[in-house]
Amino acid sequence: MSYALLAKRIGLFMASLLFLAYVLAPVLWLVSSSLQREANITSVPPHWIPHPLTLSSYRAIFTAGDPSASTDDNASFVPSTAQYLLPALRNSLIVAFAVVVLNLIVSVPAAYAMAKIRYIGRDLSVYFMLATRVIPDIALVVPFFLFIRKLGLLDNLGALIITYLAITVPFSVFMLLNYFESLPDELDKAARVDGCSRLQTLLRVFLPLALPSLVAVILFTFLASWNEFLFALMFTQTPASQTIPIIVASFTSDFTTSFSFINAAGVLAIVPPVIIAVLFERYIVSGLTAGAVKG
Amino acid sequence: MAQIHFSNVTKRYPNGHLALEDLNLQIEDKEFLVLLGPSGCGKSTTLNMIAGLEDVTQGSLKFDGAEVSSVPAHKRDVAMVFQSYALYPHKTVYENIAFGLRMRRHPSADIDVRVRNAARALEIEHLLERRPGQLSGGQRQRVALGRAMVREPAVFLMDEPLSNLDAALRISMRASIKALHQSMGTTFVYVTHDQAEALTLADRIVVMCQGVVQQIGTPDDIYERPANKFVANFLGSPPINFIDGLLERSGTTLQVSCGGISLALPPSKAVQLAARVGQQVTVGLRAEDVDESGAERGSGADCLIAGEISSVLPVGSDQFLGVRCGGQGMFFRVGKERSFSVGERIELPINRSRLHVFEAASGANIGVSDASRMAAR
Amino acid sequence: MQAPGIGRRWLAKHSVNASDQRSALLLLSPMMAVLFAVAVFPILYSLWISLFDIKLTRPRSTPFVGLGNYAQAFADPLFWTSVERTLIFTVMSVSAIMVIATLMALLLNQEFRGRRLLSTVLLIPWAIPYVVDGLMWKWIYDSGYGALNGALYQLHFIDKYVVWLGDTAKTLPLIANAFVWKEVPLATILLLVTLKSVPADLYGAARVDGANLWGRFVHVTLPSLRPGFMLVIIYEAMMAVRHFDLFFILTEGGPANASHVLAWHIYVETFRNLSFGSGAAVAYLLALATFAMSYVVIRTVGNRI
Repeated sequence: MSYALLAKRIGLFMASLLFLAYVLAPVLWLVSSSLQREANITSVPPHWIPHPLTLSSYRAIFTAGDPSASTDDNASFVPSTAQYLLPALRNSLIVAFAVVVLNLIVSVPAAYAMAKIRYIGRDLSVYFMLATRVIPDIALVVPFFLFIRKLGLLDNLGALIITYLAITVPFSVFMLLNYFESLPDELDKAARVDGCSRLQTLLRVFLPLALPSLVAVILFTFLASWNEFLFALMFTQTPASQTIPIIVASFTSDFTTSFSFINAAGVLAIVPPVIIAVLFERYIVSGLTAGAVKG
Repeated sequence: MAQIHFSNVTKRYPNGHLALEDLNLQIEDKEFLVLLGPSGCGKSTTLNMIAGLEDVTQGSLKFDGAEVSSVPAHKRDVAMVFQSYALYPHKTVYENIAFGLRMRRHPSADIDVRVRNAARALEIEHLLERRPGQLSGGQRQRVALGRAMVREPAVFLMDEPLSNLDAALRISMRASIKALHQSMGTTFVYVTHDQAEALTLADRIVVMCQGVVQQIGTPDDIYERPANKFVANFLGSPPINFIDGLLERSGTTLQVSCGGISLALPPSKAVQLAARVGQQVTVGLRAEDVDESGAERGSGADCLIAGEISSVLPVGSDQFLGVRCGGQGMFFRVGKERSFSVGERIELPINRSRLHVFEAASGANIGVSDASRMAAR
Repeated sequence: MQAPGIGRRWLAKHSVNASDQRSALLLLSPMMAVLFAVAVFPILYSLWISLFDIKLTRPRSTPFVGLGNYAQAFADPLFWTSVERTLIFTVMSVSAIMVIATLMALLLNQEFRGRRLLSTVLLIPWAIPYVVDGLMWKWIYDSGYGALNGALYQLHFIDKYVVWLGDTAKTLPLIANAFVWKEVPLATILLLVTLKSVPADLYGAARVDGANLWGRFVHVTLPSLRPGFMLVIIYEAMMAVRHFDLFFILTEGGPANASHVLAWHIYVETFRNLSFGSGAAVAYLLALATFAMSYVVIRTVGNRI
């Protein structure tokens, strides 16, 4: 092997290590400190590798609502809102699934129409749709809050679902739009000649072909709903409707909370999105690229 | 100035694919060498190795006797025209052409003179300030040529440069490239899958298939004396007719028989092939080898192809007849004097001296045609 | 429903047939309904509110003040502090994102074993919520027990633990770091896609033309990356200017307003001072600014649709 090739190999290896360190180190520390006793991670300097490894923080989370559960010294640092962590998990899941389903129902027909049908107002509708995401969420919070409160939907998962729907629809439509456009027009014409109405063409011909893009939309929408914070903060007041980000945020403001507990909660909160992202990496990348820079 | 020598060069990709197997080739200075073959045969790989864009896995590559396999591409005195032209989209035509000279630190004044001369010669002077995106395919092709020309390199490489052009433009560009070779007096190495292009342009042709060289020779050599079935089939339009059969002895003559046909071989071949009686062979007969002058008539029915016309295809100056005989289909070219119709029975006299005989198993040419043997003498 | 006579002529003039128009409108209606109700309405309502003096502490009196809230905002030094903090944060973040993402994209564009692992791992920061991102870095930055202090101490760069987030000079860069860490994956992917669209022959031509590694980078890679750079800069700038979550989790605008950005300013005004009118006014100003910025984006991206 020539020197140039060897140098290149070594260079790539070092760069990869740097890359991995940058991306993974903070997360690994989060996980590591969630698996240790409070005393070990508050030492100076902290213990980097959990030894001994303990699941007491996780146990505390799962038994938080149960007063009869046995406690060890870690549990005395558990915040009062800990018992809401699991209900929050449930809320987040419900909201995310609902938003995904509704998103598909709303976005797919719209994207198909924009991509394949010549109609008056087409460019306008595309610009309009994109423009709704230009306004920062902060600017929408006040009117939303007043509106939702007037409807009596404060503290209701439905409010979150509708809001998230409005937030995620433009991006979904945009991704699907780009993908549909890359499918040949002739398919559309062939289906119509064969007797399909527009809706049937969409359902029977284009939808099956757009599967990669659909998967990407599902993933993005799920992640956006799961991770959203600002609106959840505004619209939810009680654990009945609070989602994971809210409960986790509530821990950080409670100064008596043990760090290992907070970190354990953090790890739990990121498990679903990270698993999804890792499993479906290919779809995420192709969904983004279909909707981003072109050639 | 630029003699290129491949010795036992093998190219194997990391995934195990063998692109070139034991290539031995000496390209002479100033010659126009064409690498010809179907896709995947290794011709582009060979070209890329000369440019330095691909590494030599095994063997040695020398320019004028000096080993270059460790010299990186940007240090070799080679210019290349790519199939896709590979023009820099964000540079003007002027800058595209000048780039190679700039990289080699030529003085600006010199660069300007060279660029404008090349542009004038290629009739693209009026396009110098445009960007590639604003040009037509033919114009881009000429810019790509200009970029390679101004470098006045020791070796000029071309990778199927005409394949993206329409038919008429392709023919006229072939003439231009031939003229360019004369005027530049440089070694040209040209890759193509188009056999007509190879026959027109080349001083010598290297026919390749799946990484293995099939034959190296002048266009006449390759066409008249193909080394094997592959070469015989690849060159010539329409492709050569093959008749598979058994080599038999019938009295004092050898013949090949199969199905209903029985082709007597000329006496000269009887000597050549005497040892192979009883083997499976394939007879090669080109479409134009129909003996219209009737010179061989009188030798009897065994130099006729007798069959049924399956198709008649007029092509302007001649016509092609598709003939089915003994279960095999063949094409022959005949003049337009007589008109034929489908289904008609025909007996075509063939020019036996132009037959080739190939060994069925290996495809090697064991009985080179007489006519060409005479020409070679 | 038959299109009226005039309607039909109008459609024909634009060479659109009536049945297509009907189908399109039908297919679009769910999206339009959702967007109008949930996006357009609040935007307009927000503008309306900003013209009034609405305080939740004084619910019965909501006098009309016209542009009074806006004038008040411009006169408020804290508003200008927010603008400055926002700009600093945005510039820092976008620059860092560009540099890191470009390097990562260049790395991922090479062929080597283990590249799949890298591109999979890359998505982890992108997938986690900002809340956890904030929490994670808050723990790392902790003055008493944080990993940053611990690591620097162990490597003998410092001899005692240092205050990080609480130090006004360090606050914004640290928050920016947490932001950049989570935004880099998306930027990297966008740049990587641009890189991959460069035809391989172009590099071959450059090599034959005599360009070494650096020459190829300058003359082929960088020019080809330009559209990707534009997109990433504009998108990330938009994200940075409006960012809220990290400021809530990490510093709540402090210490001493060191991280009091516009988004936080709006939040405080609206939900802590309970002054909806003035909060809406500042929010609207921010909206106008981002709208101006993103007009450019829609123009460039919109032309590709």
